Amino acid sequence: MTGEEPDAGGDPPSVAIADPLLSPPTSPLDLPFDVPSLLALSRRGQWRAVLDAVAVARRSHGLLPHHHLVCLAVSALALSKLRRFSDAAAEIDALDAPLDSPRFRFESYPSSYPGRSGSMVPFALRFLHADLPQRLGTRSVTVDRLYALFDLVRSKILEETTTASADLWRRREVFVIASLCCNHFVHREFEAALALVRLLLERDPSDPLLLSRLGYVQLQIGDLTGAKASFARLENLHPSGERTVELENLVGRNKALEFIVVKDYAAAVREYEECIERDPADVVALNNKALCLMYSRDLSDSIKVLEGALERVPTAALNETLVVNLCSMYELAYVNHGDVKKTLSNWIAQVAPDDFDPSCTRI
Amino acid sequence: MSGQLQGGSPSNHSLAFRVMRLCRPSFQAEEAVLRLLDPLDLLAAEDILVDPSLPPDDLLRISDPSTPDAVANSDFTFRDRFQIRNPVDAMALSGLLIVPQSFGNIYLGETFSSYISVNNSSKFEARDVIIKAEIQTERQRILLLDTSKSPVESIRSGGRYDFIVEHDVKELGPHTLVCTALYNDGDSERKYLPQFFKFIVNNPLSVRTKVRTVKDNTYLEACIENHTKSNLYMDQVEFEPSQQWTATRLETSEYSAEANSETRGLLKPPVLIRAGGGIYNYLYVIKSTIEEFGQSKVDGSSILGKFQITWRMNLGEPGRLQTQQIYGTPITQKDIELQMLDIPPIIILERPFQVHLSITNQTDRTLGPFEVFTSPGISNDEKFVMVNGIQKLVLPPLEASNSNIFDLNLIATGLGVQKISGITIFDVREKKLYDPLPDVEVIFLFFFFFVHSFLNRRYILLIVCTFFHGNADLC
Repeated sequence: MTGEEPDAGGDPPSVAIADPLLSPPTSPLDLPFDVPSLLALSRRGQWRAVLDAVAVARRSHGLLPHHHLVCLAVSALALSKLRRFSDAAAEIDALDAPLDSPRFRFESYPSSYPGRSGSMVPFALRFLHADLPQRLGTRSVTVDRLYALFDLVRSKILEETTTASADLWRRREVFVIASLCCNHFVHREFEAALALVRLLLERDPSDPLLLSRLGYVQLQIGDLTGAKASFARLENLHPSGERTVELENLVGRNKALEFIVVKDYAAAVREYEECIERDPADVVALNNKALCLMYSRDLSDSIKVLEGALERVPTAALNETLVVNLCSMYELAYVNHGDVKKTLSNWIAQVAPDDFDPSCTRI
Repeated sequence: MSGQLQGGSPSNHSLAFRVMRLCRPSFQAEEAVLRLLDPLDLLAAEDILVDPSLPPDDLLRISDPSTPDAVANSDFTFRDRFQIRNPVDAMALSGLLIVPQSFGNIYLGETFSSYISVNNSSKFEARDVIIKAEIQTERQRILLLDTSKSPVESIRSGGRYDFIVEHDVKELGPHTLVCTALYNDGDSERKYLPQFFKFIVNNPLSVRTKVRTVKDNTYLEACIENHTKSNLYMDQVEFEPSQQWTATRLETSEYSAEANSETRGLLKPPVLIRAGGGIYNYLYVIKSTIEEFGQSKVDGSSILGKFQITWRMNLGEPGRLQTQQIYGTPITQKDIELQMLDIPPIIILERPFQVHLSITNQTDRTLGPFEVFTSPGISNDEKFVMVNGIQKLVLPPLEASNSNIFDLNLIATGLGVQKISGITIFDVREKKLYDPLPDVEVIFLFFFFFVHSFLNRRYILLIVCTFFHGNADLC
């Protein structure tokens, strides 16, 4: 290693250490943008504004190497949310070195980060780097990268010395396994999906969300006995007196699914109505109740439920799947469905976040 | 158009049919839209907690999904489209169902179910509406709905009359759903509206069977191949044998005991046959319910039975099929049964050894006399086991259902694992050569005996061999 420090971002690092602006950050979240407002924009789905904020940050002076990487991660995420996948991929590719390169480690910049070591890559950047190829048509690259990420996370868990950091990497491990499981599910590779659910259950055999999702995979396959067992196990582990509203609704929705399987739509609707009474913003219950009404020959009421949900709890109900279902119902109910879909589409354009996929109205 | 069938609809009609196939819904994984993340993973270096001087609480507060936004007055709006609450949420399966997005394929054995809506998109009322729906195939017409006896009095302007039809698909090939409405329009003119929706029914599965006889057992192997575009969950595959047979399914339990017994029952792998050509094999052993010895010869066209198959797709969508009758080849009973009874436990190179054999006459008449010898066989491999002494052993005639035990004197000329092969029986009178005894593998050794006199102790090193019978050819 020479005396020259390698540069992560492309700008030459400033020299004067006396300048207070360049002293090493006291907090790792000392970033070139205001963190709370960036998070607020993200939570409101204002991704164009996020992109603008990052662009401004990137132009500021005295950026340290890790600032560039965080800006890159946020920018790549915002571009992905806006469905500008090739732009996002191009930005990550411009790094010109793999994420494991020494260029992206704190110890490569001892004057900027005295005494610090470790990787400065934001974990989300690794995930986005893995996720993007499938958005651009090469799913196999995504799967390979996700499994490689799985390997990386597992070796980090073994290396970590503090409990807090090991726990953090364990959460990331669950995240990666769950992402892989989703990927296999979407591509109908159910045996692989089940194997990964099994891995997750080994770590937490009583997680109600996990048991429910196992049930959903089994139902999607058609394994009704398996799904019944999964839901029953959930109910046994979390008996009725001790449940939160959220858990009570989860159990109720699972019961409704079992009614749907035997085509007892009236009973399913009753379950969903109980869920909606406990939580009027339970969008899954609202959406699925509408489907049950449709399957009971009550197309008018099914449309009313979905339209009502969008009116009463718009930010919860504005969901691409719900809109797809509503548009399917419009197509069935109206010969001239173009008009009613256009009205819906206009309303969505005013209310929806930047990352809402407008193609779901199929206009 | 989602799930819609293309049907002609003349524009001078007040009414029009809208049709949507109603197979069961599916779970939607919302990962295409959402990429939920932990803000800490986005804004901080991944090794952020490696540095012990940094306060972890500050950092982890950012990950906490219940922290209100300082700027936005606890406005949670679209937070759940950005911030992950639980890492397991990356599975993106909230339980949201989605209606079928396309008509899809229809297969024999499924139930065709459809939502049919008669819409009045005109400004005038339609009265006395007689609605009929039927399925037409090459062979028949099946009536699904007929309101002739009680016509729909009125469908107002902008109104609808809906119904759901179901039909178990039992024929292959082209099908047409014919919907007709006979009604009085705004001018009190009696109008007739026919609409046609066509679809094709294909074969979902093929079942190939093989019947084999190995030793005294008959095995039925069935290979199910999936021709559909979906993975099929095999809910039930049952072989129903005809009266004179019983069938037992043979299956391996690949699913070994799980370390975590709590999850064991939940995760028995389902039998899932992949779309577009995946296969799965089933194996049964067939036994005759007629137990008489020597009477199990059945003529060549014996009916073994048939398969009942039930499969399921998303949310339990069922399909059912039955195969045609499966015929089996009879269990052949050999006239002469030759068996190797005994081989010496230790066989030493170049020293003669004896094998005990038995010959059984399984017919109802006297057979023989016989000659026993080792035949060279088809291959030109050098043989390391030979008959020691007279090459042909003569055996006297054997009466019906009788056995005879005899010895064959053999010698080994090669070390290691070798085969005793080609022991053949020849019926001299009928001039009939029987199939040779299946190969038997044995190990031939040197026998070491050393006496080591050291401190008045003797050491004997003895290598004990194991021998095993070569398997009968199961192919």
